[in-house]
Amino acid sequence: MQNSHRQSTFHIYIACVGLMVFCSLLFSSCAQLPIQNYSQVLKENEHAPIYSIVCIVHGDNNYIYHDTTGNKLSADKETITQIIRVAQQNQNAEVFIFHQKPASNFLLFFPTKDGDFYYYRNGQLIANESYWRDQKESQLNPELELFNSYSADNKSEMKKIFLYFGHQIPEYGGEGYDESYPERTFTVSDLATGLINFLGDSEKFDMSILSTCYGGTPFTIDKLGALSKIIIASPENLHLSYFDLAPLEQLDEKLRIGNNISFAKNFAQNAFDKLTMNVQTSVSIAIYDVDSTKQYLNEIRMSYTNTLTNLKLQFQTFPSIVKQCDCAELPSYLLPQMNKGVTIFYRPARFGRLKNKQNHSGWECWKYDAKITNIR
Amino acid sequence: MKTRIFVGFIVMMFVFVTPLSANGKVDIQKYFNDTANKVKATENAAEKREILNESFQNLSKALEKVENMGLVSNENRDVFDQFKNNLQEKQDELAGNNGYERIPDSQLNNFSNYVVQDMEQALSISLVALLLIIILVILLI
Repeated sequence: MQNSHRQSTFHIYIACVGLMVFCSLLFSSCAQLPIQNYSQVLKENEHAPIYSIVCIVHGDNNYIYHDTTGNKLSADKETITQIIRVAQQNQNAEVFIFHQKPASNFLLFFPTKDGDFYYYRNGQLIANESYWRDQKESQLNPELELFNSYSADNKSEMKKIFLYFGHQIPEYGGEGYDESYPERTFTVSDLATGLINFLGDSEKFDMSILSTCYGGTPFTIDKLGALSKIIIASPENLHLSYFDLAPLEQLDEKLRIGNNISFAKNFAQNAFDKLTMNVQTSVSIAIYDVDSTKQYLNEIRMSYTNTLTNLKLQFQTFPSIVKQCDCAELPSYLLPQMNKGVTIFYRPARFGRLKNKQNHSGWECWKYDAKITNIR
Repeated sequence: MKTRIFVGFIVMMFVFVTPLSANGKVDIQKYFNDTANKVKATENAAEKREILNESFQNLSKALEKVENMGLVSNENRDVFDQFKNNLQEKQDELAGNNGYERIPDSQLNNFSNYVVQDMEQALSISLVALLLIIILVILLI
């Protein structure tokens, strides 16, 4: 009798484990559904894309925000919806979307993939699969592998746009950028190193859009400027509702050959109008015509690098002593050529100490109180 | 018996699989969002002011309590102080203290949105200490 009971319990146990394994397999296979036959779709759409958009949406941290009616929204998910609309609307573009998600487990023990990938070509979804992100250093290797698997052959002839959505990308340190992997680091240099490989034969992206806080710093523009002709970024805080992407929906109409700067202005103006309508905090969007900013960046590079070196050495554990401010407030950065190549759309916060600040140079720098440093 | 074990197992599976997404940062955001909703729901400016003031004071008390209990580590001290100063600035601005112009009655709804948005930006960075604070905030309210 006891034997029979033990046997039954054992069978139930085996059945449960079997069910877990089955669910796990089912779950992971669901994540890799080829949407359409790749070659068939390419035959049906014989014209090669003329625009290539690579979009990375970081979602592995707190990206919750509230709209003015009090609805709780998730910035990364809202962005994915917007960029998918962009991908569907453009009949002459290929769009790579990488959604970097938090780590999670299925049935407590089975880790699920922490990245979602979408590939659209000529308005159609060609592939949608889950993938494993970099587990240690983060230099976009898994994303690059997917990019290389699907990208069109005529890379060098396409107009290339890079989009990044996430929190401020650190200029040094970089631990804790991913909530799921607190030890892993991600910095502006890591992003730049990873992005080089997405260029193929091309020298630079035609445009990069950094939808993050404090993207408009001399270091960030210098690093990413090596890979992009034009950069749109916010030098100050950027609310999580991010830049509006509507102008990207009709690239054929709005981004004509040789018209990159006017497109960038149109994009920035639209994003600025949308943000100022809904946000009470400050709004700052700058367009950097990278070649024209070089002279200023060359002049201040040494000073900025020294500041960063000091920050690395002294302030890693005391972040609040270090603050960011308009570079124009610091005499060593206030140079005649600082506005060259920069178009800034700025509105101060409606409340707070800086509500009467009327202008922003478009460059954000670090400042810290040396006296406090000595005390510590 | 077998059925019970099996059903129990299935229930456990779904309970454990439910993502535990709530955390301190999200709760703090919810706290300010609820305050803004209450402010916007009332027509009376004095009541709006009272709701905002009470919300700031509750949180200030919670911060003090955390500090007095010695729960703020040296590592988190600056981030904690920064958050506390930020909160104090908002209280000052609401009341018109410390060089601030008092927020006009007509601007209280916008100010409540500003507080939500500014805190969302401030909380974007990792503030470990706030996970503790939120527990106390919940206990106080």
